[in-house]
Amino acid sequence: MDERFSGFGAFILYTITGGVMLFILAPLLLVMAVSVSDSYFVTFPPQGFTLKWYAKVLQDRDFLEAMRLSILLALGTTAGSLLFGVPAAFALVRGKFFGLGAIKGFLLSPLIFPALVTGLALLQVLTKLGSQDARLNLLIGHVVVTSPYVIRTVVTSLQLVDENLEDAARTLGANRLTTFWRVTLPQIASGVAAGGLFAFMVSFDNYPVTMWLANSEYSPVPLVLMRQLVNVFDPSVPAMSTIIILMAMVGVLLLEKLVGLRRALAA
Amino acid sequence: MRSSEVRLDRLVKEYNRTVAVDDVSLTIEPGHMVALLGPSGCGKTTCLRMIAGLIRPTSGDVFVNDKRMTNVPVHRRNVGMLFQNYALFPHLTVEENIAFGLEMRGISKADAARKVGDALNLVQLSSFGKRYPAQLSGGQQQRVALGRALVIEPAMLLLDEPLGALDKGLRESMQVELRALQRRLGLTTVMVTHDQDEALTMADKIVVMRDGKLEQVGSATEIYQRPTSKFVAQFIGASNLFEGPIEQRNGSGALVRVSPELSLQVDQIPQSASDVMVSIRPEAIVVERVGQSPAAQRVNSVTARVDQAIYRGFVSHYYLKTPSGGQIIVFEQNQSQQAGLRYAVGEEVVARWESPSNHVIARH
Repeated sequence: MDERFSGFGAFILYTITGGVMLFILAPLLLVMAVSVSDSYFVTFPPQGFTLKWYAKVLQDRDFLEAMRLSILLALGTTAGSLLFGVPAAFALVRGKFFGLGAIKGFLLSPLIFPALVTGLALLQVLTKLGSQDARLNLLIGHVVVTSPYVIRTVVTSLQLVDENLEDAARTLGANRLTTFWRVTLPQIASGVAAGGLFAFMVSFDNYPVTMWLANSEYSPVPLVLMRQLVNVFDPSVPAMSTIIILMAMVGVLLLEKLVGLRRALAA
Repeated sequence: MRSSEVRLDRLVKEYNRTVAVDDVSLTIEPGHMVALLGPSGCGKTTCLRMIAGLIRPTSGDVFVNDKRMTNVPVHRRNVGMLFQNYALFPHLTVEENIAFGLEMRGISKADAARKVGDALNLVQLSSFGKRYPAQLSGGQQQRVALGRALVIEPAMLLLDEPLGALDKGLRESMQVELRALQRRLGLTTVMVTHDQDEALTMADKIVVMRDGKLEQVGSATEIYQRPTSKFVAQFIGASNLFEGPIEQRNGSGALVRVSPELSLQVDQIPQSASDVMVSIRPEAIVVERVGQSPAAQRVNSVTARVDQAIYRGFVSHYYLKTPSGGQIIVFEQNQSQQAGLRYAVGEEVVARWESPSNHVIARH
């Protein structure tokens, strides 16, 4: 690194990298800053320092209920999209059948379609099917939206796995399922983890699909945030946001420690 | 270890109407090592994978000891297989890699540990059990793969270009070692290779394949000395190929006219033949300086000019041009005290050889 980028080149590189990071992180830092502002309105620069908004938020039953729902929903979505996405990715990479390309396009299509449209379509279908439970509808909707992320990351890591490893395992007496668990899965663990993390995060802060499928009884965090924002825009909204940002950071760092997320995302 | 007879009966594999393996029948005797040899795309690997059960044949059958295996899934066939890139499980240690097959067979921990130890001894890697594959050299990795394949006491050993990724010196010593081990264990073995030296070094029987079909089956000497087709003559070693009409019959043999200055005396020739193709191995030809030898007699000898001369250590290669424009390749073994090449480019020489070196090729 140091040898390839020195002098002016290094200056340009660091400037651009720094600029991009600032561009991405500045809004988040701003949110964190105003969350400790000792004022009744969101103002910048923040005035004074207080943690009272956090105290308020952590006592807010609506917010805590929404957090509980969102975390459970995100966990369920992660499990669901992995259960659906990993075998789908396996079929896409290892399979040799007619229409492979079309199926691949179809499975990744929720990434391309506007989420609003997907959400509306899901609402109509689920209503027609008579599915009244908002929690189940949310779970289905989120799995549909997040599966493409899982499929994409798992396809990428699966393409790097040497098929001979699987053949070797099979000649040694492992059937296909055992081969998958004992040989393939350990190779693609980082891709699966990355996909799972994506699924969790996308589910957690999904607004456009959630908006259609939630009801007054079951409202996940993004809806509660939005409602709060419209009603009273006091620093409790940035405080809620900061809690979510911190959760995401902890999640990413944890996964990096456990399975080397960086490697999976670089692939 | 018991030995198995492997029999392929009219194996065919088609992919989307292209035929990868075309009607291959072959019997591999118990304890033999057979090499499937051919250029890439000749169907040899597909054949091997059908024996393993990794590919289902379109038609035809695989028998092991007269038991039909065609519908037995790969994990129940009890085959040991080696791959070109070793295919060791990167997340498992050497010991765990070797134990994998034992675990799949439900062998107790204690028994497995003992067998793994024996296998590590067999492949001379006793002190490497706790390492991961990435910490081993290519040669060591292939030894681990060998240990992993042998520890399950397979009915046969299948080798898919097992030494192809190693460098020359190591590859040659591993060939000898692997062959010795295979002999000692009496293990029926099928090997796929595109390397003729490897096939000649290791195999009891060589199966030359081309375009999905068997081209010739025989021992190393048979394949080398008596190729039945032009393809085999050229694929295995180098060959001088001559073609011409029969000039005159003499007893069971005949004189074949190649060019105005060269005819070949062949000792055996089918009665029906009229046009004949003859192969002469480059090492069968003797080169002498003009004047130092009797003049060329036209039969099995010709005067030529040295076109290229290459010194290759223990052997020199000479490319000769005859007056009519034909090329003759000659390999001459160098003597230990010899100072470089014996003939210079441009020199006039006489090339001569004996009649038994003229081998008639049936199919051309």
